[in-house]
Amino acid sequence: MAATAMGRKKKKWWMNYAIWFILPAFVLYSLFVMVPTFSSIYLSFTSWDGISDNVRYIGFSNFQEIWESPRVHNALKNTMIVAIALVLLENIVALALAILVDQVRWFRNLFRSIFYFPVLMSGIIMGFIWMIILNYNFGVVNQILDMVGLSALKADWLGNPDYALLSIILSTVWKASGYYMIIYLAGLQGIPQDLLEAASIDGAGKWKQFRHITFPLLAGATTVCVMLSMINSLKLFDQIAVMTNGGPGFATETLTYIIYKVAFGEGRQGFGTALAIVLFIIIMIISLIQIRLLRKREVQM
Amino acid sequence: MTKKSVLQLCSIILVISLVLTACGGNGNNTNKGNNSPTNAPANSGEVTDTPQPVTISVAYATGDPATKQAIETTIDAFMKANSHITIKNISETTGDSYLDWLKTKDAVGEFPDLVEMRDTKVFVDAGKLAELPEELHSLFEVLPTYEEKYYNAPMTGNAPQGIIYSKKAYADAGITELPKSYDEFIEIQEKLLASGISPIVVGGKDLFHMGFWVNYFLINNVFKDDPDWNSKRTAQTVSFTDANVVQAMTDYKELFSKYVDKGWLSTGDNQTASMLVTGKAAQLYSGPWMLGQIEEADPAFEFGFYALPNRDGSVVINGLPALAGWSLSAEAAKDQDKVEAIKSFINFFFDPAQYGPYLATVNGIPTTAAEVSYETNEQMAEVLKIMADPSIQKSMMINNWFGENAIPPQFRNWFYKLLQELVVNNGDVADYMKQSDTEYDSNVKANQQ
Repeated sequence: MAATAMGRKKKKWWMNYAIWFILPAFVLYSLFVMVPTFSSIYLSFTSWDGISDNVRYIGFSNFQEIWESPRVHNALKNTMIVAIALVLLENIVALALAILVDQVRWFRNLFRSIFYFPVLMSGIIMGFIWMIILNYNFGVVNQILDMVGLSALKADWLGNPDYALLSIILSTVWKASGYYMIIYLAGLQGIPQDLLEAASIDGAGKWKQFRHITFPLLAGATTVCVMLSMINSLKLFDQIAVMTNGGPGFATETLTYIIYKVAFGEGRQGFGTALAIVLFIIIMIISLIQIRLLRKREVQM
Repeated sequence: MTKKSVLQLCSIILVISLVLTACGGNGNNTNKGNNSPTNAPANSGEVTDTPQPVTISVAYATGDPATKQAIETTIDAFMKANSHITIKNISETTGDSYLDWLKTKDAVGEFPDLVEMRDTKVFVDAGKLAELPEELHSLFEVLPTYEEKYYNAPMTGNAPQGIIYSKKAYADAGITELPKSYDEFIEIQEKLLASGISPIVVGGKDLFHMGFWVNYFLINNVFKDDPDWNSKRTAQTVSFTDANVVQAMTDYKELFSKYVDKGWLSTGDNQTASMLVTGKAAQLYSGPWMLGQIEEADPAFEFGFYALPNRDGSVVINGLPALAGWSLSAEAAKDQDKVEAIKSFINFFFDPAQYGPYLATVNGIPTTAAEVSYETNEQMAEVLKIMADPSIQKSMMINNWFGENAIPPQFRNWFYKLLQELVVNNGDVADYMKQSDTEYDSNVKANQQ
């Protein structure tokens, strides 16, 4: 009895075609993502320089250095500023754009495309373009300010620590909002019109309709967008590398930027890996908290 | 039961991954295997008549357009003259520093056979470089040594920095004489400022450009009297808070706060030439490689070059031979055909017929034992005169010293960034120098681990 049952189960396991569909992806994922990830945990405890074959184990020294280094603290602070500012701004702008293109009567598709275009550009190209636009001596922004007689407002947008991070944040919002707009737009179109009509019959104005009907019903889309924008802004790298190179001084260094600089530029792969592990843990914690909070307010229709 | 199937699943994955990694390894091996046999029999077998084709990969720093073009020209001429040798030029222009780029190349297994090496110590220590073949030594007048071995065929002599100035801006500001001391230089800055032009352009967005000014002050206040300062710093017997360093950085801070163009932190090194020729700035402190760029940007632009004296009126320049130049990779050195090809390329490169035009394009200083004659303009003649003047003391940038005097490789960029912050935040020099001590010591400690 037992033997036949076992045999059947075994047969079932082999016959189960789902496994065969999952297997290739699983193998590739393990090989190229899981294995390197786990081996990097080991590297974070070493002083490997990235070139030589000599990998020395140094215990928790890297993590101790992270804990004590003012440069890392500054980068962490910048990362947080960037993350919070980007999540808020990107989502507000994206939602506003979505409502706009949802309501507009004419050239609906044209506007949708225009707002989506920046998303298609690579971060590096976008960085170069904004770098040229914001250049102090030759940039368009300062030249326009000169032309309209507002020379007093001229600033070194990427060279002044007060504006450099802001410039990066705003140009990233410009680039990324279109993407989240599409998600919000899909959400908006899933909201039944009769609810809005009923509300307007009950005397609710536009703002009240938005506040009590549209916004709560967009909770699903909001969860996705906030999650995605949070993850993307925590790993923001190309714009910073191109536009400011982490400068002036240390003003725009974020964790991803110093991970790269330390690991590849300064020959401290071990320390860089340790930083990457720290960033991984931070992203994981934030994401988990976020999902918890945002899921709570989602409603089922 | 389920446990067993999970186990089975895991073992299947393990087997597959082993098979796949084995494949990967084999792939590499067979590649190498394929390459060398085709070359090797050629040597032992039917010999000489038609030399077997060899391919060598070459990389060099492409940051300066004139150098890039000059090397490309030499490579093309070489391939024309040696049809059996193919040179695969894998250099790329990136926003990154050359060292970063080279490390990335190494990480992906594409380290070039022949490479322009600027961080010899790092790569020799990692076992990536082979010594320069004996036969090539006699080509050069002086060869830099690392641990008493020769690794580099220096492409040009270490070029001194100096002030490149617009003659028109000087005339407009009523400056008739070049400064004989640093204080006179500052007086000139005041006059330029008064005439309404930005006195100095700095390409501070590129950290290496910071090195020109920072090292002017370090050389003239610190290295001038104590060439072994770096090793003493490593041994913690001197400090960044010592009076001479503080003086150097105070001068630096004052110059940058008062006389440097406002947009310096977002200006790239490659924009500095256009700042000069468009009359947005009057002076640039950089090396002779800029002369060609400036001439190209505006052939009608009139400019001069002079070495910047220090307070007591003496001149100390950045001109000692650095540990840099063409180097062989350890990998290529194992393949006799490649070594031969590289040797003939280096011989070709430094042959006066090629080397002369190369030096003329990059405005370089010759390193060869053989006399090279090439056309120079007025500014370059001044550079060569300074270099040849035995009364002018030669020194080096903080990060170019080698052996005992080498600084932790990660320190340079951090230090330049800190100095940018010092100016931007109008910080206290002594305080910032204290931070430098801390960082330097922790770098040394980290590298010893």
